[in-house]
Amino acid sequence: MSVSGDHTVVLRGVAHRYRGRDADVQALAPLELEIGAGEFVAVVGPSGCGKTTLLQLLAGFLTPTEGTVTVGGAPVTAPSPDRGVVFQQANLYPWMTVRGNVELGPRLRGVPRAERRRIAERYLELVGLSEFGGAATYELSGGMQQRCQIARVLANDPAIMLLDEPFGALDALTRDRLQDELHRIWRGSGKTAFFITHSVEEAVYLGTRVLVMSPRPGRIVLDEQVPFDAGARTAELRATPAFVAFRERIAATIGQG
Amino acid sequence: MRRVATRLAIPLLSLAILLGVWWLVVELRVWSEVFVPSPASVWERLKEGESVHDGQVGLSGYYLHQHLWASLWRILRGVAFALVFGVALGLALATIKPFRLVVEPYVNFIRSLPPLAYFSLLIIWFGIEDTSKIWLLFLAAFPPIALSVLAGVEGIRRERVDAARALGASRWQVVRFVTLPSILPQLFTGTRLALGFAWTTIVAAETVDGIPGIGGLAWQTKKFQQTDVAVLCIIVIGLTAIALDQLVKQLEKRVLPWHGKA
Repeated sequence: MSVSGDHTVVLRGVAHRYRGRDADVQALAPLELEIGAGEFVAVVGPSGCGKTTLLQLLAGFLTPTEGTVTVGGAPVTAPSPDRGVVFQQANLYPWMTVRGNVELGPRLRGVPRAERRRIAERYLELVGLSEFGGAATYELSGGMQQRCQIARVLANDPAIMLLDEPFGALDALTRDRLQDELHRIWRGSGKTAFFITHSVEEAVYLGTRVLVMSPRPGRIVLDEQVPFDAGARTAELRATPAFVAFRERIAATIGQG
Repeated sequence: MRRVATRLAIPLLSLAILLGVWWLVVELRVWSEVFVPSPASVWERLKEGESVHDGQVGLSGYYLHQHLWASLWRILRGVAFALVFGVALGLALATIKPFRLVVEPYVNFIRSLPPLAYFSLLIIWFGIEDTSKIWLLFLAAFPPIALSVLAGVEGIRRERVDAARALGASRWQVVRFVTLPSILPQLFTGTRLALGFAWTTIVAAETVDGIPGIGGLAWQTKKFQQTDVAVLCIIVIGLTAIALDQLVKQLEKRVLPWHGKA
């Protein structure tokens, strides 16, 4: 995994309004945001604060009603394999095996069979699913399905990963384990991560930088670097005074929002 | 084992009771035999249908299985054309909005017509041979397929499509890798409905020049009050339709092991 080229994400005056039945709904207030390559940006906020809208704008699923989104200076107009998206639901295709799902990105690009098989095996191993390549997707547990989705996105080697509450539907133990795995994969990959969550704990644990968004219309009310390094994440970190203090402050900010 | 036995026993018992009541009604002469033929005479017609008797082959000059096969072959061709056209039409209805606005009312219009209503036109256009019959079966069979495909496409969760687009899929690749596999369950349902409609249309299709044909044979019985042949045709059509439906259902289980699980 390596990242080359400029992948700075820049949002200028970006706002988004949905057309409602009676009136339009202002999901995002105009906002400015810049995300440097290699950052792990964790976004927290109450439900309905527009964080998913923000992610969909970055992915290119939506076009903002105002302002511009650019990556490396080029405007975002459509989805791109360079910006991988991990959803809360794994969205695996049950008519393909686990390996078939992971191979899909390279297959769409016309990578020859043997080569994409090699790619798939590499990422299946990275997420601990080597033995399940030939399995049916619906035979996997929720946590394993989510691992498979992450492997499928990584197989495209995107410079930017957009994650929309990827662990929100998992049990606490699985969630903790996947958080550590995600952080391990991200570390040293040089990839940018944009991670949405409703868990303050998760945001502070994973992010190098935490954004807090306000209720609708969503705007960024807090934007700070976490006060500890981007090194390995361990359970002990969660108990350190620095971690606890920062987490409390984020929680308080949301409470005021 | 015991469960299988119970599951078989109940339908067999109900069948035995039905045959018993039928036999009793005939024995007691509740109605004349012209109205209600006896099980024995239906059985005789079945045997005649598969043999040469008095120098005659089967019933109306063909063996019963030839009648059945002629009808089945018409239905299979009609439904095959309906599948090709119905899938294309369903996809177009689902993806091209203006097309849907214009075309969907016509699909519903055709769907609501009794096939006999337009059969005369088809005969005038395509003649009395198989072409007009297959057209009739096709027209009865394509709307359920097209509408099932439409419902299938509309039921695809948006994220399923978005996930593929974010992996780099083009519009066509989304259709090939996501849309088509996603709608297979609805396509199977639509095909089963279409086969059902084709069977209910077969007698209408074979009212004109329908011999050989099981529907044509049934239609002919009215001339000579052959109620036993009519009952025989009803039983054969019903059983064949059920068998074909089961075949498609089993095929569906084979092709779509994932259906209902993800």
